[in-house]
Amino acid sequence: MKSTSIKTKVLVALSICLLLGVAGTMALIRYSFEHNARTLAMQSVNDSRKLFDILTAREVSKMTAVGVVLEESAELQKKFLERDRGKLLDFCQPTYERLKAQGITNWVMHTPEPDVSVFLRVHNPSKYGDHLDRFLIKEVVRSHSVATGSELAKAGFAVRVIQPMKDVKGQVIGYLEFGEELGQFIHTMKDQTGDNYGLLLNKKYVDRKLWTESSAAWNRRDNWDDHPGYVVADKTAAERIIDFDGDFAGISESGNVLERYRVGDAMYVRGVFPIRDAAGNPVGAMFVVRDISDFYWSMRRTQTVLIALTALALALSTLLVLAILQKLVFRRLDCIITVATRVVGGDYETAIRTSSDDEIGQFEKLFEQFRRVFVDVMSNVPELQGKR
Amino acid sequence: MSQIYDMRLKIEEKIKADGLNAMDIKGKLGLKTGKMLALITPTTPDDPDLISKLRDAAKELLNLSL
Repeated sequence: MKSTSIKTKVLVALSICLLLGVAGTMALIRYSFEHNARTLAMQSVNDSRKLFDILTAREVSKMTAVGVVLEESAELQKKFLERDRGKLLDFCQPTYERLKAQGITNWVMHTPEPDVSVFLRVHNPSKYGDHLDRFLIKEVVRSHSVATGSELAKAGFAVRVIQPMKDVKGQVIGYLEFGEELGQFIHTMKDQTGDNYGLLLNKKYVDRKLWTESSAAWNRRDNWDDHPGYVVADKTAAERIIDFDGDFAGISESGNVLERYRVGDAMYVRGVFPIRDAAGNPVGAMFVVRDISDFYWSMRRTQTVLIALTALALALSTLLVLAILQKLVFRRLDCIITVATRVVGGDYETAIRTSSDDEIGQFEKLFEQFRRVFVDVMSNVPELQGKR
Repeated sequence: MSQIYDMRLKIEEKIKADGLNAMDIKGKLGLKTGKMLALITPTTPDDPDLISKLRDAAKELLNLSL
């Protein structure tokens, strides 16, 4: 028969419980940690998206206000109606410089219907006379009211406001367009949040010629051939912020968390959300990288402390259970065994003391009664007569 | 005098010589052999099975070869 003491079995059982408890706690904490990290990453994407929307709304509001003021300028209207491009440029240039300082990078004036062509690009005066086949132009011509949204044009991908310019009689005499490069947005966003951003555009919605022209206009490298399916409009960091397989359809409307990665002691999360143009086309994606080192390491410390405390608590519980069993069961059983052995050895004087009324106490009482009967029997054995 | 009684005497001598607790050791020997040592007298017959058990118990508990 296999001989393993109850004490050993209890110790093994408690050790298994201890290990399971620690493992379970670790799994729970790990799950909680991963969940929180995912939530934080998703929050980063949502925050960036909201900030992008807020900045877009703010810039639209700013450009609309500028448009309203300039549209009502009699001097501007007069110069525009004179169709003297040089004089109009001279008149607009000082204002444009001030607007540019406020982030408004594009200023275009279009002729009215039926021609609707570019009369003057204040930001790029050498380019004019072309007809733009863009959604916002069509929209403002159709509605004769302000049209806003992000759109790619010769000057790049920009958030734009186009509004009709009306004379005193309310007749549309042309259209005023203001725009702000989206590339500037990500730098503003970085300044406000500390996060890094990267904006890329789906080549499907970008005209190769327009991209080259806009690159030349803004003195930036023509990076069209860098990637097969998309082109990087701008980014605030040279690191792996844009690591993209080109699957724009895989980007959900609410954004995606792409990965969590570590560089040295810094921990980052990377996410992406889609960018739509004024017509609602998914023209690109905004990548965001947030440094979550403080949160991450704080969580890791908490995780370590929690696991240590759990292990300690379980270990103490195990010791406590063993100590209680030792005091209430094992020690008393040892005492009974010792007395029983001595009785057999001839010690008829040592009695078993009943220390409690619990189960072991009842056994002690029963055994003491048995011992007395045994001693009484032994006193009548002839071989033992006179030896007590 | 029987062989088994002789063994009892040798065991008692060993216990005394080693200064052991006689009641404890005798009790353990009794439990192992199924016979109280005090009940082994010069007239106790030499039961081979009992002799064998006592020899083994004495070796185990006292390191005494009988």
